Amino acid sequence: MTKKALITGVTGQDGAYLSEFLLNKGYEVHGIKRRTSLFNTDRIDHLYQGPHEKQRQFVLHHGDMTDSSSLIHILQKVQPDEVYNLAAQSHVAVSFEEPEYTANSDALGALRILEAIRTIGLSEKTRYYQASTSELFGKVQETPQTETTPFYPRSPYAVAKLYAYWITVNYREAYGIYACNGILFNHESPVRGETFVTRKITRALSRIVLGLKKCVHLGNLDAKRDWGHAKDYVEMQWLMLQQEVPEDFVIATGKQYSVRDFVGAAASELGISIKWQGSGLEEQGIVDQVTRSENNAFDASLHVKPGDVIVRVDPRYFRPTEVETLLGDATKAKEKLGWVPKITFKELVAEMIHHDMDEARRDELCRNEGFRINSYYE
Amino acid sequence: MNKTALILGVSGQDGAYLSRLLLNKGYQVVGSSRDAQMSSFANLDHLGIKGQIQTESVSSNDFRSVLQVLKKVEPDEIYNLAGQSSVGLSFSQPVETFESIGIGTLNLLEAIRIQDMPVRFYNACSSECFGNTDGKRADEETPFRPRSPYAVAKAAAFWQVANYREAYGLFACSGLLFNHESPLRPERFVTQKIVREACQIKAGLQEKMKLGNISVMRDWGWAPEYVEAMWLMLQQDQADDYIVATGKTYSLEEMVETVFSSLGLNWQDHVELNPDLLRPTDIKISLADPGKAERELGWKAKYGMKEVATMMVEACIESIV
Repeated sequence: MTKKALITGVTGQDGAYLSEFLLNKGYEVHGIKRRTSLFNTDRIDHLYQGPHEKQRQFVLHHGDMTDSSSLIHILQKVQPDEVYNLAAQSHVAVSFEEPEYTANSDALGALRILEAIRTIGLSEKTRYYQASTSELFGKVQETPQTETTPFYPRSPYAVAKLYAYWITVNYREAYGIYACNGILFNHESPVRGETFVTRKITRALSRIVLGLKKCVHLGNLDAKRDWGHAKDYVEMQWLMLQQEVPEDFVIATGKQYSVRDFVGAAASELGISIKWQGSGLEEQGIVDQVTRSENNAFDASLHVKPGDVIVRVDPRYFRPTEVETLLGDATKAKEKLGWVPKITFKELVAEMIHHDMDEARRDELCRNEGFRINSYYE
Repeated sequence: MNKTALILGVSGQDGAYLSRLLLNKGYQVVGSSRDAQMSSFANLDHLGIKGQIQTESVSSNDFRSVLQVLKKVEPDEIYNLAGQSSVGLSFSQPVETFESIGIGTLNLLEAIRIQDMPVRFYNACSSECFGNTDGKRADEETPFRPRSPYAVAKAAAFWQVANYREAYGLFACSGLLFNHESPLRPERFVTQKIVREACQIKAGLQEKMKLGNISVMRDWGWAPEYVEAMWLMLQQDQADDYIVATGKTYSLEEMVETVFSSLGLNWQDHVELNPDLLRPTDIKISLADPGKAERELGWKAKYGMKEVATMMVEACIESIV
């Protein structure tokens, strides 16, 4: 029989990759999205099936993590075998501006789904995946971080996710629900939200190369992260729900790069080498050399020349409390689930640059034809 | 000039004792409850201080209500003792538990931050955050392993306090209080249930008492002296978190025995064990190391479980007679 999966946060990066992954496995996939005045389904438009299509494999429902009755109603209707709770206010910086909403959607949202599973009587049937995060480790208590490293959350986002983590553990222990936390370290892709630092960098550099933009402003260049590819990571989310016993897993690459490293790697995909000058707020990323590589269909030297300052530091992107370093050890996932990440850091950066160059060239073309283009991106 | 203290959750056990302590120290005390008009403030009445406290209605999960009372009272110190306080009830009301504890604490921290007030903030955290500690004594560095929706909510509140202290420099402290009892404890809590029912058995008003798991082990202290530790935390140069406990752990069975023997009864003649009263997940043993509070605050518990149980029995007998 066809398995049914319900994904909250289906319009997000992970929701899109997971939907695609589960559809390929033959699942009937149901997604929950908030009602907004504009469509925000870009990432899943290629999977969309209209309400009049017969035997739909991919169905969207309107719902909201802050509205218990909508969640109960959808769970009742779908009766899913697996629930993937990916919905959240997912931006650390925004959580300092909207702490209450973050707590409501990320902490209480998880509880509302778990309670809905109990209320409807799906505790035996439905397996639950909770999207936890390396931000729980915050001010890290040991390096690298594993499933046993104590948490030290450093933002309202991390505190809300800490609540969701422990309430998931509690519902597993108290009621025997098959519920798991995936403690995922940073995972990126060409459809990563535009305000996350990796995507901000790949979009900005692509536009700088085409002369659509001069310079990108970043926050803490020293922040070190363990960056993987979202496509690899959603497979793990599914694997966690296919085991005999529910457990929590760290998902990471085990390699660490700074934001500055990421800028360098992205620039080098565009044939640009960067030298860094100054320190603190005065630090600048300056173009050192521009080389036209053979695989590039464009010539970076048309708009960028040695000496151009293309990266500056802006304190507005600093956070009241910074997480300086995160590095995961996914040994448990490798040993118990046989999972290892397949896509390397370099491949990830290359894919993101490739995608964002396409977008930037589309904008360049529009601009050259006299259309107005929007260049906001921060 | 007299200091002003705002106590959220003034109608509870700790709120009453803390009010008395602060009044004795010359504070002006403002206490809040969700509905001050409807609340009888029986505990304040019991201590004979109801008339000395200005009461306000505050729902701490409503941001506007919090902001309004801070503006009106302009307190020097805020003690947040409000929120759903029963572990057992949190399994049937998990959402309300987080709203009153998690969102409530967050609203207070945000209100203090945006008003830019030089307020000192105490938040009532709980030993429940530690869960089972594998036979080790919990100190302030021990990782949390919460085992109930109540404990998970308190753990989130603890980290909110730590984050606002680190991110914005707020003077904000969490007190990780282990179980603390008194005659003002409501009967929903097992200690008072045991005391009350044992006294009724003594008086011939009932024969048997039903209890769940009596093998659980807890560190029980005397609430009237724990509130002093709360106050001390806010008088330090630096804001920090502290464990407050006696450092001695007893089983519930030992507590039952103490209560019955202080009444001249043999507990085994009167107690029936009922597995229906077990919680979905419970903590087997809770062990505390209160050394930091002694070193840094000069605070040390004077009364242990035996004295606490006896004092509760004495108070209960008086109320029955």
